[in-house]
Amino acid sequence: MAEQLLVGAVAYTPNVVPIWEGIRDYFRGSDGEMDFVLFSNYGRLVDSLIAGHIDVAWNTNLAYVRAMLQTGGHCTAIAQRDTDVGYTTVFLAPVGSGLQGAASLAGKRLALGSADSAHAAILPLYFLARAGVSESDMQIIRFDTDIGKHGDTGRSELDAVAAVLAGDADAAAIGVSTWNAMGTEDLMSGSLEVAWQTEGYCHCMFTALDTLPEQRYGPWRDKLLAMDWNTPEHRTILELEGLRQWVLPHLDGYKPLFAAVGEQGVDPRW
Amino acid sequence: MVILDLMRVMGGLANGTLGEVTIQSVAERELADRWCARTGNTIVRADVDDSGAGTLVVRRGRPPDPAVDLGKDRMPGARLWLYTNFHCNLACDYCCVASSPQAPRRELGAERIARLVTEAAVWGVRELYLTGGEPFLLADIDTIVRTCVDALPTTVLTNGMVFRGRGRSALESMPRKGFALQISLDSATADLHDMHRGAGSWRKAVDGIRLALSLGFRVRVAATVAAPAPGQLDDFHRFLDNLGIAVDDQVIRPIAAEGLATKGVVLTRETLVPEVTVTADGVYWHPVAAIDQDALVTPQIEPLTPALDEIARLFAEQWAKASTAATLFPCA
Repeated sequence: MAEQLLVGAVAYTPNVVPIWEGIRDYFRGSDGEMDFVLFSNYGRLVDSLIAGHIDVAWNTNLAYVRAMLQTGGHCTAIAQRDTDVGYTTVFLAPVGSGLQGAASLAGKRLALGSADSAHAAILPLYFLARAGVSESDMQIIRFDTDIGKHGDTGRSELDAVAAVLAGDADAAAIGVSTWNAMGTEDLMSGSLEVAWQTEGYCHCMFTALDTLPEQRYGPWRDKLLAMDWNTPEHRTILELEGLRQWVLPHLDGYKPLFAAVGEQGVDPRW
Repeated sequence: MVILDLMRVMGGLANGTLGEVTIQSVAERELADRWCARTGNTIVRADVDDSGAGTLVVRRGRPPDPAVDLGKDRMPGARLWLYTNFHCNLACDYCCVASSPQAPRRELGAERIARLVTEAAVWGVRELYLTGGEPFLLADIDTIVRTCVDALPTTVLTNGMVFRGRGRSALESMPRKGFALQISLDSATADLHDMHRGAGSWRKAVDGIRLALSLGFRVRVAATVAAPAPGQLDDFHRFLDNLGIAVDDQVIRPIAAEGLATKGVVLTRETLVPEVTVTADGVYWHPVAAIDQDALVTPQIEPLTPALDEIARLFAEQWAKASTAATLFPCA
């Protein structure tokens, strides 16, 4: 039997354990057998990838960028979720606020999630700046309530939304997946509406160092991509992890975050 | 805002665990219902006043599916146990139904068994188990077995000691396909087995296993063991391997505190997934409690369908209750 591939991930909810046990079971008996290690934060995950303690890291977009920057680009992007492609940030405002479009946010109080969340802090400011609204044009209210998890828990986004509902902020920037989990306008039509939405970018990515031979991760990647939504046992895993299909990397979707990290001076080791 | 509260609470919970959220109105309850339906979470209890204000207890995730957790083959009604009789050539000191040579026979009878298995197959039973007492003491056990095997896959539980004369002829005439023998053997050596079952019984049981294997039967061996000494089970499995018993056909089970057993695992309807069991006295919740009046579901044996339906209904209630009862025990 080939040596197991060791995959690292961050435990941002208790359900991460059954998710990865399910994924590990899926690979059992195949050419891509794997085991997993869980970390408490993405900083440790990337450090461990670079130190060679794990073969593959299940990175957020910021963790992927951080790994690339720390290794001078010597990383291999392996695969991601279909839902990681074309991910967006939505700006929510109270119904009837009159806020519509990026420009309407100038001069307003904007609530952001944790500072290490690409979708709820870093990229909202990046895309607003591209639309002509710089950080200095707004009053920024930050909710750094799940630092280390890169926004995975959703807690800081809920804090930002709560600030809007309480009248303490005019708008909140959150990831589209959190907005979907909230029920979008279907359930929130009486209280919140989308004032603006960014263009698409990419979120999570399985990342290895480029020293990992293709024959080590290739069979695992191929088996991963073969997970089928219409197979009940596979579907359980896919639903828990929030996707319908694993896909090959869409690297163009990380360009905004590389640029944002540079412009905003985000610590490459964060 | 109830949706934000739900997301905060559910986000920190493991699947299957419970959390509480406060609601202020009927409208918030409706919103909570819609959010839970959309996200696959489950409201298991609502403690609210007339204004709709109060507390919701919410389970993270959907209710557990017993067919997934237990397996379809272990769902209530998948197996039907028939106590063909209660008399036995042995008087084991832990027998869960107090069988012995002196026990009243209480036979179900071949004709009634034929009607029961026909009805059971129509209902959806997938597998039959004939037990006792010692079924091979019945003169017509071969007829009963053939009737059962014609309807569904069947296993007969036996001590394997009466495969002589008429018993052997009956055995030889039984079908090999869709049929298995489950022979009781408690240990790799005679001492423990004979201590519970009587002197010389181990040797005869082993001879019975060898005979059944030689005649081409599938043989499952079931041991009843209270507190195995270190290495005892390993020795036993090695012994069964050498006899030629497949690994999946080596069953180890504890002693149940039922029947003649004065010590053992205490079982109740609430702690047992039912396996519908018919005796001459009625329909019971589980074969291990087939003389326990607390486990009697109904004294009416025929038609069997109402009892199968009732046990399925009671189990569904029990399963739903168990899936909502855990973890919330606030002391302050």
